[in-house]
Amino acid sequence: MNKMPKFELRKHVMTAISFFLPIVVGSGMLLAIGNIMGGSGIENFSDGFSFADTMTTMGGYGLGALPMIVATAIAYSIADKPGIAPGLIVGFVAQGIQTGFIGGLIAGFLAGYVTAAIVSYIRVPSWMQGLVPTMVIPTFATLIAGLLMYYVVGGPITWFTNLILNYLGSLDPSQKVLYGAIIGVLASIDYGSALNKTVFAFVFALFSEGIYEPITVLIIVSMITPFGLTLAYFIGKVVNKNIFDSVDIETLKTAFPMGIVQITEGVFPIVLKSLPRHMLATGVGGAVAGALSMLWGQIVIYQHRV
Amino acid sequence: MKIVGIAACTAGIAHTYIAREKLLKTAEARGHEASIETQGLAGTENKLSQKDIDSADVVIIAADIKVNGRERFSGKKIIEVPTNVAVKSPNKLFEKLEESII
Repeated sequence: MNKMPKFELRKHVMTAISFFLPIVVGSGMLLAIGNIMGGSGIENFSDGFSFADTMTTMGGYGLGALPMIVATAIAYSIADKPGIAPGLIVGFVAQGIQTGFIGGLIAGFLAGYVTAAIVSYIRVPSWMQGLVPTMVIPTFATLIAGLLMYYVVGGPITWFTNLILNYLGSLDPSQKVLYGAIIGVLASIDYGSALNKTVFAFVFALFSEGIYEPITVLIIVSMITPFGLTLAYFIGKVVNKNIFDSVDIETLKTAFPMGIVQITEGVFPIVLKSLPRHMLATGVGGAVAGALSMLWGQIVIYQHRV
Repeated sequence: MKIVGIAACTAGIAHTYIAREKLLKTAEARGHEASIETQGLAGTENKLSQKDIDSADVVIIAADIKVNGRERFSGKKIIEVPTNVAVKSPNKLFEKLEESII
C-alpha cells in the first residue's frame, strides 16, 4: 500500500514548468512567426488557408492548451501515472470555467491529491484490485476533483484573479517602479534557478490574464548577465583592462547568443567563479531594468489568442 | 563507497548538467565511485545500469522536479536534495552523506 504523499508545492509547480516550457517556446515561436507573416487562426479548414495560417493556428493550439498541460503535469508529479487522466480532464474544467493558468495549477493539485488519496486509502477485496487503476481512479478521481473545481474553488479563483487584476490595473507610477524592481531582482539573482522559476510561474499567471508588463521584466532581466558580461568584455578592450581569461571568452561566445533568446544559463561557468560579486551586479542591474521597464510600460506579446 | 544518482532541474538546460559534473568530481576527489544520470530537456542521458544500481551503497537525487524511474531504487537509501545544493556546496553534501552511511 502506498503512503499518501506529503503536501508539497514547489516541486510539483517546478515539474509543471519543466513540462510546459518547451510547449510555450515551440508554440510561441510558431505563433509569432505566423503572425508576422500575416497569418490568422484557421476556423474552418474547408474554406482554405495560407501557410502563415498553419503556423498561427499551431501556436494557438499549444498556448491554448496550457491550463490542461499544467494540470496534467502537476497531477502526474503528485500521483504518478494514475494522476494523468484526472489531471487532463480537470485541467479542461479549469479552462472551461475560465480560470486560466491559475485554475490549471489548482486543478492539477486537486486531481493529484484526490488520486493519491484514492490510491492510499481505498481498500478493496482482492477480486476488485484490478479495477482500481482501470476504473475507479480514472472515473472517481476525475469526478471528485472536477466537482470540486466546478462547485467549490471555481468561483473563488475567478474572484481572486479579478481582485489581483484590478489592483495591478490601478497601480500608480511609483508603485510600478517598486514592483518592477522587486520582480527584476528576484528573477535575475539566481540565474534561472528555482527562484527565477517561481517568479516565472507568477508572472506567467498574470501574462495569461493579459497583464504583460511583469513577464517583460522577467524576460529583460534574464538577459542582463550575458549582455553585461559581454559588454564588460568590450569595455575591457577599450580601456585595456582584461578581466576574463581565455576560457571565459570562449564561454561568452556561446553565452551571448543564448542570452539573446533569453537563456541565462550560458554564463554559469563565469558566474560560479565568484558568485557573490556577480549576484550583486546582476541584482542591481535587475532592479534598475525592472523598474524602468515597468515605468515605461514595456510589454512583450508573444501570445495572441486565436 | 559506490554512489548512483539522478540530476534534474526545472528548465533542464544547465543546472542538471552542472550538478552532475559537481557530483562526479566531488565523488572522485573524495575517493568514491559515482555514476549520475541526467534527466534534462534532452531526455535521459547517461542512463544508470541496473548493475550499477544494485551494487550502489547510496542514491543521490539532486532534483527540483519529479524524476523518472524512482522505483529502480526500491530498498536503497535515497538522499534527496535540490540541484542548487549539488551545484553550490557538493562537499558539504558529501560530508553529510559519508556521516549518514558510516
